[in-house]
Amino acid sequence: MFLHYIDLSWRSMKRTPLVSMLMILAIAVGIGITMTSLSVYHMMSMDPIPHKSDKLFSVQLNTTDDGNNWWTEDDVPLQLTYKDAMALHNADTPERKTASVRALFTVQMDDKEVKPFLASTRVTGRDFFPIFDLEFVYGDAWTSEQEASATPVVVLDEETNDRLFAGENSVGKQVYLDDTAFRIVGVIKQWRIHTKYYDLNNGAFNSPESIFMPITLIAPLEIQNMGNTNGWKYEEINTFQERLQSEMFWLQFWVELNTPEELKNYSDYLQAYLSEQGTKGRFERKTPQFNLKDVNEWMQYNKVVSADNKVLVGLSFLFLAVCLANILGLLLGKFLRRAPEVGVRRALGASKRQIFIQHLVEVSMLGLLGGVIGIAIAQLGLWGVRFTSNEYASLATMDIKMLLAAPAIAISACILAGIYPAWLVCRTQPAIYLKTQ
Amino acid sequence: MLEIKPVFSALLRSKAGAVMLLIQIALTTAIVSNAAFIINDRIDYLSQETGYPEDEIFSFTVKSFDPNLDISQKFEETETMLRNIPGVENAGLFNASPLSGSGSATGLSLAPASERGPDVRTAYYQADENALDILGLSVSQGRNFRADEVIVSQTRDVFPQVVIVSRALAKELFPEGDVLGQTVYFGSDPLEIIGIVELMKGPWLQDSKPDNVAIIPFVSASAFQHIIVRTQSEQRAAIMRQIEDLMLEDHGKRVIIGLKEMDVRKAEYNSSNTLMLRMLVVLIIVLLLVTALGIFGLTVFNINKRTKQIGTRRALGARKSAIINYFLVENAMICSIGVTIGSIGALFLGRVLLEHYSIPALDNMYILFTALFVIAISLLSVLMPANKAANISPSIATRSI
Repeated sequence: MFLHYIDLSWRSMKRTPLVSMLMILAIAVGIGITMTSLSVYHMMSMDPIPHKSDKLFSVQLNTTDDGNNWWTEDDVPLQLTYKDAMALHNADTPERKTASVRALFTVQMDDKEVKPFLASTRVTGRDFFPIFDLEFVYGDAWTSEQEASATPVVVLDEETNDRLFAGENSVGKQVYLDDTAFRIVGVIKQWRIHTKYYDLNNGAFNSPESIFMPITLIAPLEIQNMGNTNGWKYEEINTFQERLQSEMFWLQFWVELNTPEELKNYSDYLQAYLSEQGTKGRFERKTPQFNLKDVNEWMQYNKVVSADNKVLVGLSFLFLAVCLANILGLLLGKFLRRAPEVGVRRALGASKRQIFIQHLVEVSMLGLLGGVIGIAIAQLGLWGVRFTSNEYASLATMDIKMLLAAPAIAISACILAGIYPAWLVCRTQPAIYLKTQ
Repeated sequence: MLEIKPVFSALLRSKAGAVMLLIQIALTTAIVSNAAFIINDRIDYLSQETGYPEDEIFSFTVKSFDPNLDISQKFEETETMLRNIPGVENAGLFNASPLSGSGSATGLSLAPASERGPDVRTAYYQADENALDILGLSVSQGRNFRADEVIVSQTRDVFPQVVIVSRALAKELFPEGDVLGQTVYFGSDPLEIIGIVELMKGPWLQDSKPDNVAIIPFVSASAFQHIIVRTQSEQRAAIMRQIEDLMLEDHGKRVIIGLKEMDVRKAEYNSSNTLMLRMLVVLIIVLLLVTALGIFGLTVFNINKRTKQIGTRRALGARKSAIINYFLVENAMICSIGVTIGSIGALFLGRVLLEHYSIPALDNMYILFTALFVIAISLLSVLMPANKAANISPSIATRSI
């Protein structure tokens, strides 16, 4: 029966090619525009680490005076000071936690073959790898002894390892970073994420760093961070030591808390830590204030999906509504003109229900065709997005979810538009159309 | 003369199609007016004057990794080398590149930091006495730095005593006017304002205060150093091509990154705005097309349905113009109701965008113009089918299908 309906709708489309094409075009354009903005939105807001995004928490401590403003919604600074970050980093609890910060190093080998290049580097603790689920191709993270003694060791990512060592196992070999010799202890599998959720400072959609080194090297090597540094009060800072002791915010901090109980314990811990720091006269604050935000909360808090994107998605759905109204009008005309034929079918024994379903199948076909053409239009739109903005280049694609969503949205939209005309036409009284003519 | 009443009764008999048209027109009005407003807002933003000759300037960053290098001295030589390249007007070290999206900001106040007075947010550039010339700027009041006022130092032990500010910053610091010779504090360091530049933008065009800029005559060469070069505009591309080789020839232990034209940097910083702009333009155009096609299609359909009725009217003596009028009046009626509802919708949508998505308040003129435009489009799209209807021969009335 279903196949018969499909055959009927095909015939019907061929009978009024212009109107059918207009309808398919309308739905295709509507879907194309909607899917373009929806795909970008989807990629931006996608959970970057679904299986543990509710277990990873970004830590914020408010170590400013009461009444100090910040650009976050609750006036809490986004990053930590060096002394707080290291205090939490070296604490006993919880099991996995790490401070981290971005730096830039010149990478060079001892030979003239490889031209020196700049590499974005993550200066962090060894827990960083298990926290963010980074897998190793060769070797492993540095040991806690190496971290404690600030040994110059590095972990490379696969692409850097390919570039320097043609993809061979480089563990144990040397690489020079800014003229300091580092020993390679591990190579991680290339880290592919769309959103750099663990450090949203310099563009949420930048690539992750390609080199990793122990955070304890910051003090001996006087590593300058390449991210945001923000102060809130005037401090005389002349030496690197003074900078480390200052109240400036420039490090990120992440913890992995697996149960609500661990979350509660860590909150208590932070509460106690802040109260203690408060008594040292670092800041004047009546009640300690801190945030523990999980990955998705963190992305929202940092407004990873910009207001512009939400506006675009909203407007494109309104646009889709216009296309639907358009189709509804055309369907009304088309179906009602067919009333005589329906009258005959009714007289021959077709039930109202059958007529109704037959017409819904016909609009679904329109939706399917429109959806498929819509995907093509959306690809064109996404190409335009990639062409316009480098930043969005990796975001402006359709994943399998969006590819399936396109025809699904198109078909349901068409059915929605088709219900009223189909209902009108199935109420046709056969008697009227069987008279004369 | 306009036959409103019969048109209206006819409309009531086939409501559904008319209602769909009405919804379409209402939504179109609401969307187009808001989108057009946002587009215009972004065009204003993207085409704003920055004060710089953007097509003459480029900048890059030098990362030095030679631990034994006297970095200050080396960069003095590098500056001289750059200035001697044919076609280069001037070049020098900066702490940040204008319009690039990365730089430094501080609060300047009227009292030293120990007194904790209110401060004014401003971006600042640190460079030597060539700064204004490199950026293609000039003071409109006061004077430029003298060479002896520039401090070259690796630490903050000695700090400059003078500053040049933008007009916007001057106004915010001293609303009463009379800015030259006044003292402002950078932390605890006093700076005397010696010059004012009418217009220069900071590194962030989307900053809350993009026009507040101070130039401090302080050069502190660092291992990660920005350099800005101004050239004759037609030679810029050629000079940029050779810059990396020249820089590495000058000193081997360094890496050159981020070599970019000022206008390119600005475009990259603004790319999400450009994107929004383009998507909205596409949206509006397609939307108007779809609506126009919808009106066209519906009118054609109505005419086909009423062929006989039209033939009868013609047979009874109606002129062609009366038939055309009929469809125009019908369309105008639907359209004006749709546009009215759409205008209310536009106001509502504008308010939602203002409250939740930090889009500026919708200018009502946009609604008015969009409404007029939609009416015009709708009348145009009805004209052709109406003409066709007028040509229906009266004899059709006498046939029985």
